[in-house]
Amino acid sequence: MMLRRLLHGLGLVVVLCFTLFPFYWMVSSSFKDQTDLLASPPVWLFTPTLANYADIFADEKVFGAIVNSLIIATLTTALSVLLGAPAAYALARFDFRGKSDLWFWFISNRMISPIVLALPVYLLALQMNLLDTHLVLVLIYLTFNLPIVVWICTDQFRSIPIELEQAARLDGANQFTIFRKIYIPLGLPGIAVSAIFSFIFSWNELLYALVLTRRSVQTAPVIATSFMSGYELPWGKIMATGTVIVLPVTVFALLVSKHMVRGLTMGATK
Amino acid sequence: MPFLRLDNVVKRYGEHSAVQGVSFSAEKGEFVVFVGPSGCGKSTLLRMIAGLEEISDGDVLIDEKVVTHVEPARREVAMVFQSYALYPHMSVFENLAFGLRMVKTSEGEIKRRVAEAARILQIEALLQRKPRQLSGGQRQRVAIGRAIVRNPKLFLFDEPLSNLDAELRTQMRVEIAKLHRALGVTMVYVTHDQIEAMTLADRIVVLRAGLVEQVGTPTELYDRPANVFVAGFIGSPRMNFLPACVTAATDGQLTVSSPAFTGGTLTVATKGAHQVRIGEEVSVGMRPEHLELRTARPVLTLKADFAEYLGGASQIYAQPDGGALMTIVVPGRPPISKNEDLPIGIAPDHIYLFDKQGLGI
Ligand SMILES: Nc1ncnc2c1ncn2[C@@H]1O[C@H](COP(=O)(O)OP(=O)(O)OP(=O)(O)O)[C@@H](O)[C@H]1O
Ligand SMILES: [Mg+2]
Repeated sequence: MMLRRLLHGLGLVVVLCFTLFPFYWMVSSSFKDQTDLLASPPVWLFTPTLANYADIFADEKVFGAIVNSLIIATLTTALSVLLGAPAAYALARFDFRGKSDLWFWFISNRMISPIVLALPVYLLALQMNLLDTHLVLVLIYLTFNLPIVVWICTDQFRSIPIELEQAARLDGANQFTIFRKIYIPLGLPGIAVSAIFSFIFSWNELLYALVLTRRSVQTAPVIATSFMSGYELPWGKIMATGTVIVLPVTVFALLVSKHMVRGLTMGATK
Repeated sequence: MPFLRLDNVVKRYGEHSAVQGVSFSAEKGEFVVFVGPSGCGKSTLLRMIAGLEEISDGDVLIDEKVVTHVEPARREVAMVFQSYALYPHMSVFENLAFGLRMVKTSEGEIKRRVAEAARILQIEALLQRKPRQLSGGQRQRVAIGRAIVRNPKLFLFDEPLSNLDAELRTQMRVEIAKLHRALGVTMVYVTHDQIEAMTLADRIVVLRAGLVEQVGTPTELYDRPANVFVAGFIGSPRMNFLPACVTAATDGQLTVSSPAFTGGTLTVATKGAHQVRIGEEVSVGMRPEHLELRTARPVLTLKADFAEYLGGASQIYAQPDGGALMTIVVPGRPPISKNEDLPIGIAPDHIYLFDKQGLGI
């Protein structure tokens, strides 16, 4: 018994080290100066410096990119949930012609590797004069996120007992009220999960951001990689930018995850 | 004028018909119970009255208005679901208030009506709780409360007590009966519990496979079941059936034979519902509680199998030669030994006869 618990704990520590070490390395490196950064063997104890952060925030491009990313990820997430949740409700609770085809089409979207579509999407954006705008990224991310949002929310809404909807109908609630007063509050865990997915995806996406933007709408991941293009590698700046990029997603995920509790419908039935 | 009327109501799911032409009406204030085996269409019928299920054919009339295509909220009916269907994220108060808010009732009026319903159901102390903090019986009360705050014209109950334990069930059954008396509203109640049906109903509708088998008061159904199905369904333990053959038929009397009968034959008065021919096979029905053990003038001779002593009464299982097991309910705890010959008696007017099609003779 003791041994099992010990092994279990040990296993957890190993997994944690494995997953968190790169993270630790990035964050700690962002506080090192160039000498400590390049020291070999690496130094574990050092005097932290904020120079790298001062550097990147002085760099308008970095700051602008983070703002761009925030705008795009927030808009995408809001729109995905706003459009996806009602669609999910319809898929979960209404019968209409072509429902199963639509359902399949939603996932089949995700079966194609994004890079296959990069060129057509680029040409399309070019034709429509949308290159290097926030809108083009929001639109393309929306097409990737909506299926996930719809998929997760449909599943969540289906798990809500249908009698609740029927009871509300007998109580005189219309379709919209039912959605707002029953499905949204009870489907919150699913909505939260899909919002997190959506935000993380849009925040981290690199391929389309590279292809579809030039100067004015560069996003954070694009900037972070752009440091690697010169003759020298400014590790400090790269690590500091990386840290700044990870921060909002973490905060967002933590904020939203408190809605990800199970058992919201407990007590509805039986 | 009937208050609720079903006019040849049909529900089809693709090829299959769940309800295949049910007609029936209930007076204002009546307590009607739908009973029938699982899957016979009780819930479907109830939900069609509520408006939750589209009606494939026929009409539903409430208070002399055709409501077949009227949406649920406008039918002024309230329904208590088998699963309660309380809104889990709302307090008990909000659960009760929900329907009133939907029709824009003033806050003061909501408070008054909720308080009134809570008083009737004795859930005043629970108003601030969430459904998950309630026991099964309390949830059931809240579900009923949600129905009564809206002053509906018609109450629909779909097996409201089936999730409760036996004791609570009895208690809630009595309360529903009281509620019906206090409110005087028409109620339609679905159950497959005999006792609920017999005790609550003014009239019982027995359904099978989407069709009405018989409609009548509890005593009518018990005393004069129209067919084998109703005879077997109403009454607990189930009625015993013995196959027999008609050997003589005179005016109002039928002589049937079976090896189980003492002397080989039995003569029974018929209700004269319809004719049977000599040689026809019939079913002889006898309720377990009508059979008398070890009488001086036996009608049947059975071989004892085993006995269950329930305290005040006993159920004795015995069978005729080569026949199916029969149940006998007797008071007290008579000693029974296996394979003992039991002379069994029954009053002649407690013997039921059914023809080959299962119709009462
Ligand atoms: N949505 C549906 N699609 C197809 N068939 C259905 C549907 N709903 C119900 N049925 C069928 O209709 C019949 C009647 O169902 P219903 O729920 O009314 O039975 P019930 O008498 O209430 O049974 P129970 O006592 O088990 O609740 C059943 O045979 C069922 O399989
Ligand atoms: Mg049912």
